[in-house]
Amino acid sequence: MTLIFKQLFNFLKLLNSDTGHNQLAAGLACGLILGFAPFLSLQTVLVLMLVFVFRIQMGAAFLSAFFFKFIAYLVDPLSHQLGKGVLENPSLRDLFVEMYNMPIVPMTRFNNSIVMGSLVLSVVLAPFAFFAFRTAIIKYRILIVDRFKKTKAWKAFTATTIYNWYCKYDALYG
Amino acid sequence: MADTNTTSPAPVKPKKAKGPIRWEAIIPFAVIIVLIGLYFKLFFDTHMRSLAEFAGYHATGAEVNIRTFETSFFDASLRVGGIELTNPEKPTHNNLNIGEVRFSLLWDALLRVKFVINEASIENISFDQPRKKPGKVKPPEPEKESALQKEAEKLKDEALEKAKTQYDDNVFGNIANMMSGSNESDEMKKLESKLISKEKMKAFEATLQQKQKDWEERLKKLPKASEFQALGDRLKKVKTSGFSKPEEVQKAVAEVQTIMSEGQKKIDEVNATKNDFDKDLKLTDEGLKEIRTQIEKDIKDLQAHFKIPKIDAKSIAMTLFKRYTGPYFAKINHYRALFYKYAPPNIVNKDNKPEVTIQPRPRERGTNYEFGKVNAYPTFWLKKAMISSQFNSADPNSKNGNLKGEILDVTSNQLVTGRPTMASITGGFPSENIEGLEFTLKFDNRTKDALINAVMGVKSFAISEKQIVESPDLALSFKSAIGGVRSTIDLVNYKELTLKVVNEFKDIDYQVAAKNKDVEGILINVFKEARTTNMIAEGKGILPRFDLDIHSDLGQLLQKGFEREINAKIEELKKKIKEFVDNEINKQKEIIEKQVNELRTKAEAEIKKVQAQAEEQKKLAETKIQEAQKDIENRANAEKAKAEAEANRRIEEERQKAEVEKRKAQKAAEDEAKKQAEKLKKQLGF
Repeated sequence: MTLIFKQLFNFLKLLNSDTGHNQLAAGLACGLILGFAPFLSLQTVLVLMLVFVFRIQMGAAFLSAFFFKFIAYLVDPLSHQLGKGVLENPSLRDLFVEMYNMPIVPMTRFNNSIVMGSLVLSVVLAPFAFFAFRTAIIKYRILIVDRFKKTKAWKAFTATTIYNWYCKYDALYG
Repeated sequence: MADTNTTSPAPVKPKKAKGPIRWEAIIPFAVIIVLIGLYFKLFFDTHMRSLAEFAGYHATGAEVNIRTFETSFFDASLRVGGIELTNPEKPTHNNLNIGEVRFSLLWDALLRVKFVINEASIENISFDQPRKKPGKVKPPEPEKESALQKEAEKLKDEALEKAKTQYDDNVFGNIANMMSGSNESDEMKKLESKLISKEKMKAFEATLQQKQKDWEERLKKLPKASEFQALGDRLKKVKTSGFSKPEEVQKAVAEVQTIMSEGQKKIDEVNATKNDFDKDLKLTDEGLKEIRTQIEKDIKDLQAHFKIPKIDAKSIAMTLFKRYTGPYFAKINHYRALFYKYAPPNIVNKDNKPEVTIQPRPRERGTNYEFGKVNAYPTFWLKKAMISSQFNSADPNSKNGNLKGEILDVTSNQLVTGRPTMASITGGFPSENIEGLEFTLKFDNRTKDALINAVMGVKSFAISEKQIVESPDLALSFKSAIGGVRSTIDLVNYKELTLKVVNEFKDIDYQVAAKNKDVEGILINVFKEARTTNMIAEGKGILPRFDLDIHSDLGQLLQKGFEREINAKIEELKKKIKEFVDNEINKQKEIIEKQVNELRTKAEAEIKKVQAQAEEQKKLAETKIQEAQKDIENRANAEKAKAEAEANRRIEEERQKAEVEKRKAQKAAEDEAKKQAEKLKKQLGF
């Protein structure tokens, strides 16, 4: 739980810094996939591994996953119809038969209509989501963060000892 | 921004740009993996063992012990050793001991999210073994009793109540009471006042005496012999011949008829008396018949009072097997309750709610598609499980059985494997004298109706001392016996159960102890005849409702034996009752019958005598009349003959006269004809 909270603070810190917009956008996009995927599935493990191994912002991923879980729940009927259409497609049947009887692959639970539909939706939406989030973050930093930093209140706050202590702590223990 | 003109700032060491890979996280990740590995290596097995014991305790209601629980990730294997399931009815013993259960899953299938066991083995199985220390039994939970438990308890109570009401120990108690045959004469004296026939006879006797008086009076009033004699004398005086005038005849006949009329009146009087008497006699006979019927009824009542038993073969068998089957029924009910508690709702139809048909729910769970192919793995498949257990003859305390068996193709989808689940076990438990154990099971879920068929048999097993009947009058037990059992179970769609269990018992050594030594001797003789018997339990029903009917030939065997022994006693008792009835009632009955007979003889003789006299006089009168009639007829005939002769003479005279006249007329006619003819000849010229 501490780790999650730390990641969330890091997310906020990074969001308000000048760098790391790609990490944040990638984290949010990965969170989208996590949110649409069932918790116990191979794709969840793979995405978590990606988030963990590559420098993708974990807080953003968890927050995004939490949010997209609700979205996924709402679009379940759509996912079901989409997954059903894919799984019942005769041209893909041989592929699915092979996949179903292959090692590892059945762990994705692709044979479930909602899982398949959600997977297709999330994989298709993830690249768009990445660029959308990236653009949004940059715009946020310019339009909101920079303006906020120019305010007198913020300047006054940065002149306080507490802020200096925080900066020192952040430099040491980040 | 900072003031750069006054002081030169310290050179800021540029932060080293971080690459795309989070190298610093590798070590913590590795540590976590190692920790997880360590947990599985060091603690997982212990925790799983405790969890299994805890779950087993709650599922079976008694302590479950597992000695070892070993898992291996790399082999995907499980080995559970020393499994002991405490018997909740007898915590000092285990229901089941299993030496070891081991199996390993195929990684090839696991990677496909399938659970396939090539071969599993269950070793060293034994039953009813004593425990080192008594096992903990789960206390009942009355307060949080669920509807399911209530239902299960209700079923159990119903079965117990049924057994209690149907098969109590009284059947032997009554037989023993009857056979002891004590103090019946005292009892009979007490019953004397209750005899209805005796009361009836008293009333009848009084009526009869009154009738006797009445009849004596009526007999006195019957016409006397002298009266008939007087009529006879009068008849003799009547003239019956030599009548000179017809008026005399008429007078004589009229007088005879008058006398006859008087006689007829007297005869009618006698006949009426006889008819009345016959009617009375008939009523008396009916009264006597009624008394005899009442006496029979009284005898039956007396017999009933002395509990002469009607032996019921089924009751005897049920009584004998009640204590034998009781613990097994309790066990069946226990497991039935467990089944009802844990079985899926669609199988047991819990709470009597209508069954919900299984259908995909796309909103929450979506639809799972199976892309199976021939020879693919089903989700679960236990290909073969070997069961083996070997009796250690060198160890005198060894209680293991000699078992050999296999279970084939336990699977979640028989359509994929194309095979039904089969199981077969053979063997025995030498230390328990259990031989010829056979068990076969077939579970076929490939058809529309799932079929489970199981056959279980034990050729012979020893039955140690077992109390059967225990009442104040009688104690009966199996001292020893050899049993055999064969049972078949058919379950269709997990609901329709048909069960048949045939138990054979041989060389039964009964131990009989009765308060009364005569009874004991009789029972020993009876049970000698029933050293081989059987007990058949049959049942059919829709689960969880299930009715079991038990029957046995023991009842019939004992019935014959008892009937033979008891009949002698019954006859003896009947004789005593008859004697009692004879002494108390028949004596009185005989007196009444004697009185009736006397009355009958006397009255009949009297009436007969009067009737004879009346008939004699009647005959005399009739003779007189006949004589008179004959005389009159003779006279009439003579007059008639005379008149006829005179008439004939006159007729002859008239006839002769007419003849002469006729001849004269004829001659004149002939002459006239001749004249006319001559005249005609002349005219014609001849």
